Formats: sequence, C-alpha cells, structure tokens
Amino acid sequence: MSLVEISNLNAWYGDKHVLKNINLEIPRNIIFAIMGPSGCGKSTLLRAMNRLLELNPNAKVSGQVKIDGIDVYSDKIDITWVRRQFGMVFQIPNPFPHLSIYDNVAIGPRMNGLVKNKSELDQLVKWALEKAYLWDEVKNDLKKPASMLSGGQQQRLCIARALALKPKIILMDEPTANLDPVAASKIEELMLELKEDYTIVIVTHNPQQAARVSDYVAFLYMGELIEVGETSQVFTRPVHKLTERYVVGKIG
Amino acid sequence: MKSGKIFQISLILFIVTTLTIVVGIVISLINSSYPIFLRHGFGFISRSVWNPIEEDYGILPPLLGTLITSAIAISIATPLAISLAIFASEIIPSRLRSFVNNVSDLMASLPSVIYGLWGLYVLAPILHKYVMLPLHNYLGFIPLFSVKPTPTNLFTAGVLLSIMIIPFASSIIREAYTAIPYNLKEAAYSLGMTRWEVVKTMLGYIRSAIFAGVFLALGRAMGETMAVAMVVGNIMNIPKSIFDMGYTISSLIANQFPNAEAYKYMVPALYGGALILFTVGLIINLIGLHLVRRVMVKS
Amino acid sequence: MLGVISLLAIISAIPIFAIIINIYSEGLKYVSLSFLIDFPPPPISGGAGGIGPALVGSLILIGLATVIGGAIGFFTGLYLSEYSHTKLAQYTQMFLQIMVEFPTIIIGLFAYSVLVAPLKRFNAFAGAFALSIVIIPYIALNVREAYKSIPYTLKEAAFSLGLSYPKVYLRVLLSTAKRGVLTALLIGMAKAGGETAPLLLTILGTTFTYFEGLDQPINAIPLLIYNFALSPYERWHQVAWGASAVLLTIILTIFIISRLVVKEVKI
Repeated sequence: MSLVEISNLNAWYGDKHVLKNINLEIPRNIIFAIMGPSGCGKSTLLRAMNRLLELNPNAKVSGQVKIDGIDVYSDKIDITWVRRQFGMVFQIPNPFPHLSIYDNVAIGPRMNGLVKNKSELDQLVKWALEKAYLWDEVKNDLKKPASMLSGGQQQRLCIARALALKPKIILMDEPTANLDPVAASKIEELMLELKEDYTIVIVTHNPQQAARVSDYVAFLYMGELIEVGETSQVFTRPVHKLTERYVVGKIG
Repeated sequence: MKSGKIFQISLILFIVTTLTIVVGIVISLINSSYPIFLRHGFGFISRSVWNPIEEDYGILPPLLGTLITSAIAISIATPLAISLAIFASEIIPSRLRSFVNNVSDLMASLPSVIYGLWGLYVLAPILHKYVMLPLHNYLGFIPLFSVKPTPTNLFTAGVLLSIMIIPFASSIIREAYTAIPYNLKEAAYSLGMTRWEVVKTMLGYIRSAIFAGVFLALGRAMGETMAVAMVVGNIMNIPKSIFDMGYTISSLIANQFPNAEAYKYMVPALYGGALILFTVGLIINLIGLHLVRRVMVKS
Repeated sequence: MLGVISLLAIISAIPIFAIIINIYSEGLKYVSLSFLIDFPPPPISGGAGGIGPALVGSLILIGLATVIGGAIGFFTGLYLSEYSHTKLAQYTQMFLQIMVEFPTIIIGLFAYSVLVAPLKRFNAFAGAFALSIVIIPYIALNVREAYKSIPYTLKEAAFSLGLSYPKVYLRVLLSTAKRGVLTALLIGMAKAGGETAPLLLTILGTTFTYFEGLDQPINAIPLLIYNFALSPYERWHQVAWGASAVLLTIILTIFIISRLVVKEVKI
C-alpha cells in the first residue's frame, strides 16, 4: 500500500473550484514534488492533506486522503492527530520568534505530551536539530531566541521543529523560495538525507528544483492534475503537451 | 518655498502653545507645592496626619490607598482584559467583531461620574452584601479581610477601577493579537495544537503588548479621580485591610480642595500630593509607552 | 479553557450594560422638558426641579473648550503629521501621548493656579480652559493620524496645482481627512462633556443662576451629578440620577454619530 492515497479530492474557496478531482498515490521514502504555475492549487493541495485548509472559513473539501489506509477526513479521527502525522515547513520560515531555539523544537512534543521528562526532551531536541543539520551551529546557543538565526538556519529550525513530532510525512511548501542559493542548496541536501527515513512532499514553482531533488513529480495546472510519474520520465518524455510546455518554461 | 516656511512657523506657534501648557503644568505643580516640602520634608510622605488647625499634613494614607486600589484594579482587570481581547479577536465570529469592539470603546468613553454614581448606589451595596461580608465572615482571619467592611471602601474603589480600565488594556492587547502574522498561527496549528494551545502560544508572542496594556491601564487607574472619590470612603487612616475605607491621592484632592483655601498649608499639601501622583504616573506611562513602541517595532 | 475565557469576557462586558440599564431605569423617570430647564429643587421640600443652569453651563463649557482645544489640537496635530521628522514633533508627540491618560485633576489644579487664584474667584473660563487642555492631546494625536493616512500622491497632486501651503492643507487635504478630523472633534466634545475633575477646582458649580459671565462661577452636569450624589438629600439623589440619564444620552449620541462618521470612511 502506498503511504498516501488521495481519491477524488475537490476543494473550493467560496465558489471558486480550486482543486478538481485529484487522484494521487504517494509511495514511501521518496521525495514527491508537486509543481505548477502560481495559483494552480499546489499549496492548497498540501494543506488539504494535513487539514490545515479548514482554518479558512471559506474553504470546503470533499474526497478522501488516506494515510496508511486511514482516511484523515473521517469523522472518527481527531484533527490534531492528523496534523501530527505530517510535519510542515512553510515558504517563509516561521519559527516562534519569542521562543528560544530549544523551545521552538520542544514546543510540539511538550504540548502534545510526547515525552515523559526533561532528559528525554533534551535528547529529542538534540536529535531533531542534528537531523536538520543545525545542531553544530546552535548547540551552544540553545537558549537564545530563534529570531537571531539567519533565514536558512530558521528554515532548518522549522524542519527540526517538524521532525520532533516524528511525523510520517514531511510537507514542504516552497521551502527555499525565500532563501539565498547557498542556504537553498543546504536544504535540498538535507531533503535528500531525510528521505531515507521519511516521505517528503514538496511544492515548488521551480521545475528545475523538482527535477533536481524529486523521485516522483506531479504537475498541477488550474486545479487539475495533468500528469504524474517518475521524475526522469516526466521531464524527458512528458505525456501531456501542457507538461512539456511547463517543463521547458513556456508556461508559469 | 517661502510659503512653506511661513506655514511651518505658524504651526509651530501652536506646538509652542501646547508645550508651554505641558511645561506650565509641571512648573505650577512644583511652585505651588514646595512650601509643604519645606515645611515637612520627607515626613510629608511618611506620616499619616491631616490636621488643618495645626497645619500638619502627611499623605501616607492616600499614597497607600492609591497603590492598594490600583493593585486591586490591575489584578482583576488583567485576566479580564486578556480574555476580552481574545474573545473579540479569536472566538467571536467576524460579523460580531465590530459590535464587541464598539462596546469596549463605549466603556472607555463613559464619564467617570457615571461610573461613580453607579458604583456608589448599585455596585457598592452588591459587593458589600455578596462579596465583602462573606469574605470577612468566613476568611476574616486573613489580615487582608480582617476589617468589618462598609459598602464604600478601598475594595469597592479597586473593583470599580478595574471595570473602568479593562477597555484600555483590552484594546491594546486586541490590536496586537489581530496583527499577529497568519504564518505563525499556521505553524502552531501544523504542529497539531488545539485552538487553546495556539492561543496560548500566540499570547506568549505578544507578551510585550500585554505588559504595555497593563502598564497604561495602571497609569489610568492611579489617576482616576471622580469615580474613586465617590466610593472609596474618604477617611484618613492607614489601611490594615482591603475592606478599610481610605483615600487615594486624587480623591483626597477632590475631597479636600473646596475647603483648602481657608488654611495656609493645605493647598500646598494638595499640590504636593498632585506632584507625587504626577511623577509616579509619568514613570508608569513612560514605561507603558516604551513597551508600546517595542510592540510597534516588532511588527 | 476557551469557555472560561469567553465567560470572563462576557463578565467584563456586563457592567456597561448594567450601567446603561440602571441609569435609564432609575433616572429617566425624572427627565422631562421642565427638568431640562428648571432650577434645581431645594434639598427637602419644593417641586420637581431640574438641571437647567447645569445644562446651559455644560453647553457653554463644551462649546468653548471644543473651540479652544479643537483649534490648538488641530493645528498641533497638523504639525505633528506634516513635520513628523523634526525633533520638535517627536518630543511633542511623546508628551502628548503621556498627557492623553493624565490624571485630569492635575489639569484642574493647573487651571486653578493660573486662572482662579489670581482672579480670586472661581470662573467659567477657567473651567473651559481646563477642559480644553484635557482634550488637546486627544485631538492632536487623532488629527495627526487622519492626515498621516492621506496617500502621498494626493499631496503631490494638490501642490502640483500651484496652491499655497494653507490652501493645500486646509482646503484640499482637509476634505480628504475631514472624517477623521470630525471624529476627533466629536470624541473631544464627548470628553469635555463628561469630565468632572477639571471643573471641580475651577467653576465652583453654582446651582442657582444661569450664565452670569465667563468670569463668574458656573455649573455643569457632571459636577452637579457629583455634588448631588454625595449630598445627604434623597431629593438631590433623584436629580443626580436624572442628570446622569441626560448625560448618558448625550454621550451615547455623540458616540453613535462618531461611529457612523467613521463607517462611511470604510466604504
């Protein structure tokens, strides 16, 4: 069974139909890219997966999103549990500026009661920061506020924060769009490392990035899933004309 | 740009007028009060006495009264103001938001005497019967509640003050809360936090706004005159419990000024109290403004 | 937990509703046309009485204070907005922000020492003077906001028409800012109408004459409420409730009008 099975997913903002009948399967331990021009619905699709979309009172969703066979939209499921199955990293790095580096990573596990004592928490924080390639840079400054980190470091802190909850899937919404090239390539390196243990779904508006890092890629256009498949295939021998034009740079 | 310079200079005349008034206030306070400081020195602040015949004045009770009523007011107002701010920006559906905000602003515009009249004839009896007497009867062994309460006393004044300052603190906190970037709230939700946990985290983010609101409200509480004068009891004695009658500096001035002219040193004594009130209020307001500025810079 | 917060929020809103309901239910029954015109009743016996002199006094004081305070406040606010880069503006703004929440009794003391003590008599002008000082910071800061929110392109357009500075700021730009300025003046009026402490030390509050002159004592509604509420006479308590109902109505009316004015801006 694939890790994620999306069936007949539709989403609306008010009357605007922003996701049209999406059917998608995401295998385990790969990097799955979702690409497409601005406004095609890729960020919406991501948020439909971890049910963050519902924060918007105008949003409506229908369809199924199954994680290991469990439909996250089922009435029997606790929505906060759903969100913890995913770790999310956002386009603009958003660590909690009033919390220290340590507390930013710790807040998720702490609030969700995932650890029993301080030393377990310390270990978890260290592990998450190491996994996010940030530990060496901040190990002596754990009590300092997160706001003093650079953009690239903040984004890695956000990755650590997401990892601390031991999610099944990491969702990344254009994670390098606001970073300089050096910081961006560090994040891409990190992603390739992380896919050993996690499944990563990355939204990107940059087809070259999708080509660089992903194993599978889906091309979204105006809310519709145009094409999906192995990255090497989609980029060298795209089936759909639209995909070809996007990959070449003619659209988006 | 000659027309421009003339315009600027004519506007400066008004600025100068405003500044003259501000400076004038400070000067007149010092000028009218120094006789009492010359006469009593530090004893003016440290003793409790109000003897017009012998021209002996010590304003320790009003000083304590100001502190006690303000402390009561802030303790009650802070949780309520934070709750009101969260209620108005997070819990209430957006259609009702402006109604709630208008109610809050109306609370802030109501004249002090109206609060005072209501406080005297409605709030005081209710507090006396349902709060003070029970507390005194059951918990009277605690020094805080040890004195047999009258309807008008420091406690009533503190509660009335808290009602009056809640809208001030609340509007500052509310503005800061609605200005929180959506980005941060999203991050909190994505970690699987419940709504209350997200609110708790966001409150941590705006804590300097909360401090700012509380400080400015504190400044307001200390300076409030009329409503307090109507419910505080106006008795000159050192309070031993919050159920004692007492004075605040501002209510002392309001209460004693009408007969002050007959005595040589009472007017300076009252001005002396005003000077102390001014100084303390100035410090508190400066801290509050500084905190507000910090909030602005962060956003 | 959010339920507790909602409960606390509702508790903090209860007093305002209670106040409005109490004041109207207790005070409205004494209000009539004659109540608004007659002299106050004697403490014990006599007829219904009214708040005539106090009402007239309030109107005079509000009018005078709004004119003086409004003018000074407006031009001060204009300077703060258009020359905000100067040190003078920055310091003045800071002082005004402090003064907005100032204990008004201190302003009353100032007016006493400047205008009452030298004349050796409580007088109406001192009261108006004190009230105008109370509202200057409020009006200045709000006028500043109103002018600051005018888009820069409008200013450029006005100047490009070759108009002089006064014409630009007081004709063209004022019409854009007029709602914000109007709101500031309305709220200033409401404050002037409701403040008591500045009047306590300046106007004496005579109850038995109408306007005698600016250099003579005068009464005002809030002061009347204060004096009568604290008096030992039941008759006067009733007048205080009635006067409160009148004052509350005035304040509510100004408040609602100012909200309607602002609402139009949003469209």
